[in-house]
Amino acid sequence: MAFVALSEAEKTFILHGVEENYRCDGRSRKDYRPMELETGLVSNASGSARLRLANTDILVGVKTEIDVPDPLTPEFGKLEFFVDCSANATPEFEGRGGSDLAQELILALQNAYESPLSFDYRTLCLIPGQQCWKLYIDILILECGGNLHDAVSLAAKAALYNTKLPRVTASLLDAGITDLIISDNPYDCTRLEIGTVPILVTVCKIGDYCLVDPSAEEEVCSTVSMVVAISMKNKEAYLSGSHMTGGGSMHRDTMLNSLNLGLSIGEHLNTHLIKMLKQEEERVGPKRPKTVGFLK
Amino acid sequence: MLKVTQTKNALLDGATIAEDLYRTPNDFEEFFQNLEKPDEVVAKPRTTFLRAGVLTTVRGSAYMEYGNTKVMAIVAPPHEVVRASARRMNMGSLNCYVNYAAFATGELETVPRREKQLSSMLTKALEPVVCRNEFLNFQLDVRVLIIEDDGCLLSTAINCCGVALVECGISTYDLITASTACIYRDHVFINPNAMVEELLWKHRAGHALPSSSDDTKPIQEHGLLIIASMDTFDQLAQCQQCGYLSPATYTRLLDYTLTINKGMRQLIRQVLLQRVKEQHDLDLREKAQNALEDQRLADIIERLKSQGLSELINPSNIKEDPYTSK
Repeated sequence: MAFVALSEAEKTFILHGVEENYRCDGRSRKDYRPMELETGLVSNASGSARLRLANTDILVGVKTEIDVPDPLTPEFGKLEFFVDCSANATPEFEGRGGSDLAQELILALQNAYESPLSFDYRTLCLIPGQQCWKLYIDILILECGGNLHDAVSLAAKAALYNTKLPRVTASLLDAGITDLIISDNPYDCTRLEIGTVPILVTVCKIGDYCLVDPSAEEEVCSTVSMVVAISMKNKEAYLSGSHMTGGGSMHRDTMLNSLNLGLSIGEHLNTHLIKMLKQEEERVGPKRPKTVGFLK
Repeated sequence: MLKVTQTKNALLDGATIAEDLYRTPNDFEEFFQNLEKPDEVVAKPRTTFLRAGVLTTVRGSAYMEYGNTKVMAIVAPPHEVVRASARRMNMGSLNCYVNYAAFATGELETVPRREKQLSSMLTKALEPVVCRNEFLNFQLDVRVLIIEDDGCLLSTAINCCGVALVECGISTYDLITASTACIYRDHVFINPNAMVEELLWKHRAGHALPSSSDDTKPIQEHGLLIIASMDTFDQLAQCQQCGYLSPATYTRLLDYTLTINKGMRQLIRQVLLQRVKEQHDLDLREKAQNALEDQRLADIIERLKSQGLSELINPSNIKEDPYTSK
């Protein structure tokens, strides 16, 4: 993700800032940049969210489709992620330039959502063994300002919170064939439970210190970062996936420290995200009068 | 009349051919009950066969058998990056390609996806170990061929690639070793075989979900951890985790894998040492042969000098040139 060219002097400046616990934009090592989040702004999708984390801009849309569940997991629905790196974000994404990055993000998300404890796939079940919902989570990266993993996962979680599945009633016909009737009323819908949905936190190692929410410049300076997926269950933080990225290595203790840092940050982030999503919904109400934001 | 005798579908060494072991959740429960579960945790590598330099067509190659998992790794010397846009400023790039042999696995539909996933994870694991600052604007291609998959695929591939890199003469910071551990229904499986790994993926731990009435039931953790480490300075090159684990369990599995990695490291060192000795012996033999040949030629020259050319030139062969005689 290193597209920013920095001179040695600039790198040293950032490194010293991190050592002093005072980063270029005035944050400490454990602070996030300001976030803007709005949900339900794409009228064609079942759920959507747009997240702007300083310069990182993400748009997520959730589409729904009816599918047949896997025979081994008859009660589970399906999720599919797709990440599109728009060429608007950086010129490097032109053509197939962003496909590696997109692949990495998709893998990280798939890995985090894989466990049924982190996302309750049973809520997507319509008729066990016969019909289930399949959610397509399409993520569009509009601008790259560092820390894509975190931004993408937060936006995906917000979009899932916003997702409204139409209420479906099934009637049993002859010979075990079922017929699905989808409710006509667009406001008659079910929502997804997002309490345990994981979020990713990138803990970035610069010099001897670990920090969260690296900006694009800081990512260039870092030797290695650890992506931790945190899922909250019974008020405890669990790991639902983690990996290292960035081409460096870490000592075992550093790794465990950054894991714990990620867990505690993720816990805070998760509670704040859920609080803000609820607040937004209360303020706007179930019917959104008009779309605000850049998609007017 | 043709008589059909039912024969057991078995291989020569008595192993039966793998079939679809379970189709429904109930089959699966039964299957798990019958599965051999380890009583205690033994943090040791499986029986391993490892050999460096198995191919003559490439500079660096290695073949590894880790239990039943069989993997071959090929490393060619770095070559220049053609696309200017793919160049990085201060590092050479590393690309890994993982391919399944057509007979490596029963499930063919998911192969392209798994290949892609393994390639990306392998690249991430090998990046820290290669001195990439030594080949700017060059790219190093590492290819892995999976001959048989019986679990621990990624860790075996990492081990094998580590050896192939050394064999190719690529500078590395350290020897890299990797291993896998997983936990499923409170059983810790060290070096899980393909069946256990498949259980984790396919059934996706549906049993672990508490029924809605019973939220107080403790969470059943499940998950898989792959650790690649470089032990000289206790560095971790990659730690890939999936599933659902508490931090305490994570640390426990981490320590198991690190112990296995230490054992593996011994083995890899031994293999490489042996390989160097072999190479040295070969060199000595070649040198001896060359010396012998030199000696023979020297003798001939010596003889020619002392006896003149008469020995080589047979007078009967020389005919008078008709033109010069005129």
